[in-house]
Amino acid sequence: MKKILIVDDDPNIIDYLTTLFEDNGYTTIAAHDVQEGLEIAKKEIPDLITLDLEMPEEWGPRFYRKMSQEKSLKNIPVIVISGLSGGDHAVGKAVAFLSKPFDRDELLKIVKETLNV
Amino acid sequence: MFKKILFATSATEATDHAARVAFNMAQAYDAQLFIFHVLGVPTRGYSQVVLDVKTKEEVVLDDEYVAWVEEEIKTHYTKQLETAQKTEIKVAIGFPHREILRAARELKPDLIVMGGSTGENEDSVYKKSLVGSTLQRVAKAAPCPVLVVNRPAASFWGGMSNIVFGTDFSKASDAAFKFAIKLAKTLACELHIFHALDIGSVHTGRILTQDEIETKIRESLRRIRGRYLPDMDGIGDYNFEVWEGIPYIEVVKYARENHADLIVMAHHTQKTSGEDTRLGSNIEQVIVRAGCPVISINR
Repeated sequence: MKKILIVDDDPNIIDYLTTLFEDNGYTTIAAHDVQEGLEIAKKEIPDLITLDLEMPEEWGPRFYRKMSQEKSLKNIPVIVISGLSGGDHAVGKAVAFLSKPFDRDELLKIVKETLNV
Repeated sequence: MFKKILFATSATEATDHAARVAFNMAQAYDAQLFIFHVLGVPTRGYSQVVLDVKTKEEVVLDDEYVAWVEEEIKTHYTKQLETAQKTEIKVAIGFPHREILRAARELKPDLIVMGGSTGENEDSVYKKSLVGSTLQRVAKAAPCPVLVVNRPAASFWGGMSNIVFGTDFSKASDAAFKFAIKLAKTLACELHIFHALDIGSVHTGRILTQDEIETKIRESLRRIRGRYLPDMDGIGDYNFEVWEGIPYIEVVKYARENHADLIVMAHHTQKTSGEDTRLGSNIEQVIVRAGCPVISINR
């Protein structure tokens, strides 16, 4: 079963995404900030990460920078999900950008394509 | 390092991304933030009738109108102002670049924050070429560094931790280096010293062999080492790198590949004279294209 790490400071989004992914046959883990996200990612090595942009303390692009410096994490695909407009290219190498509110079917489609399952 | 920040804003969506960076910096570095807006341009010298920069309408200026504009700015930044600590809204009348420079002289900020080009409207008083001419003029004459956020994508870093300093070994670059090194030390940033070897324009008509290019790269690396290494004490993590290509593209690419959250470059004074207010074309292009904020230093 493919594992998705959700990095978002908004517990409502985490709840929503967790339910959405688990209902569709994925396992999930969640982190509320960049630091926690990196620790969990290193331990769990997820197959995909969804990433928020603006979070307290460090922001999403910095999470991406740190994960791409880790050999074990650098090739994990990242989908940016943010409520801020104009964030399309904030993480240049993300596989996709979705702005909140997003279409759940679109997200699932991207996840499915990315994970190739 | 940043005690006072002057955020020059049109108070429209065009500067929202710069606003994100300005408010974020003010909060992160506990700085006083001046939100500075030029509301209108006098239709004639010393006229009380001004052309409102937002509505493009001629209005008669009085205290009531100024208060209304201030209220508009407050409304535009309601969300940010809720969490911001030390902010002050300032409104002025005149040509934007002149008033911003005047405010910079009076308020003595450590940094001016500006957005890039404003909108598509040809009749905008800010006008724009590649970067807005207001920006060009401010960057050229500002008494302090000018931070520019042009692409929306450049505004999501949430602070500075990884700086690319682009050098062309000019005297102007030395001033920019001083600022970059101070910033890197104060904020404990990783620092990249980067030079782009121009293989486009300098050698027109002749194609360099890769051996020649790589010899020049080696020379430039030695030059970087000789010039900047002695100042690297106290910098935790630094890199020296030279890439060949079109300089502005290489700077933008290098910053992207290294996930830089800030580019520092000198405002180029070479080749500019008199009334020519253009920024050096390289930094101008870097400002337009960068995926992170760009700080331009002119002295």
